[in-house]
Amino acid sequence: MRGPHDYGGLPAGPVDPDKHEHDPTHWEKTVDALMMLIFDQKRRLARVDESRRMQEALGEDYHKFPYYERWLQAVTWLMLEKGVFTAEELEAKQGEVRTRLEAERNGA
Amino acid sequence: MSEHHHDHDHPTHTHDGKPIQEDPLPPLEAQILETSVRELLIEKGVVSADEIRRAIEAMETRGEALGAKIVARAWTDPDFKEKLLHNSDDALMEFGINMSPMELCVVENTDDVHNMVVCTLCSCYPRPILGIPPAWYKRRDYRARAVREPRAVLKEFGTELPDGKQVRVHDSNADLRYLVLPKRPEGTEGWSAEQLEELITRDSMIGVSDVLAPSEAGS
Repeated sequence: MRGPHDYGGLPAGPVDPDKHEHDPTHWEKTVDALMMLIFDQKRRLARVDESRRMQEALGEDYHKFPYYERWLQAVTWLMLEKGVFTAEELEAKQGEVRTRLEAERNGA
Repeated sequence: MSEHHHDHDHPTHTHDGKPIQEDPLPPLEAQILETSVRELLIEKGVVSADEIRRAIEAMETRGEALGAKIVARAWTDPDFKEKLLHNSDDALMEFGINMSPMELCVVENTDDVHNMVVCTLCSCYPRPILGIPPAWYKRRDYRARAVREPRAVLKEFGTELPDGKQVRVHDSNADLRYLVLPKRPEGTEGWSAEQLEELITRDSMIGVSDVLAPSEAGS
């Protein structure tokens, strides 16, 4: 069975080498760094194929997320799966962070 | 890093480590999730803020310039080239690069064979050498078509190959990454490694284009 990520050989449009090309933003680099750190020799918390499994498990959502948002989903689900933090801890943290970031964005 | 490295002109952080805010903000939900995950990982002692900063700095030293040094060395040092093609871990060690836990396979372009690299399943790429892959490498159009109609895709990059030349497409995966060793152009006899580096582009090491012509050096 072909998963949502498995594009090889499917019909697709022309390649535009300049489309969406940009230097990675600081936010994208941060997500990249988190992924690389959980893979590294010191931590060995996950491997590349596990990250891909998590991205494949997004199903049709795979196509909706921009690249680094997909990576972020993978990091999050891997950490939950491995018990590094719990869903309750994540939820509580997200509530607190939401209040802070919304205030920041509103110029507080 | 070489003095050509442009990031030096555009620092991404202030000295206290805060990003200089010129990037567009990520979507709020994505920023909330990333901040939450990052802070939880720091609170749990899994990573430190300093490790994240250093990982980002290390990322900024990888890229085309590092790949070009490796290719130019292979063009000018036959023993190094042999090592790069057959025992790449040892060759890369000389540049302080560690691919582990992945393996790097270096594929050589010749008069008869052109190599090109794709990752149909995601975006596997020789990141310890070339850094973060370009946007097109991660997108569906390239991933889908590189393995079905490579010559048509190459044309979209402005690369026309003679009919008699064989095209080999290498599909990367989580454990095995590829780097193309382009052909040294004619007319560069006697050039130093530093001069040759100027001709070697990122795209030539992915195999979607040729290196620059000697007349284009420094452009």
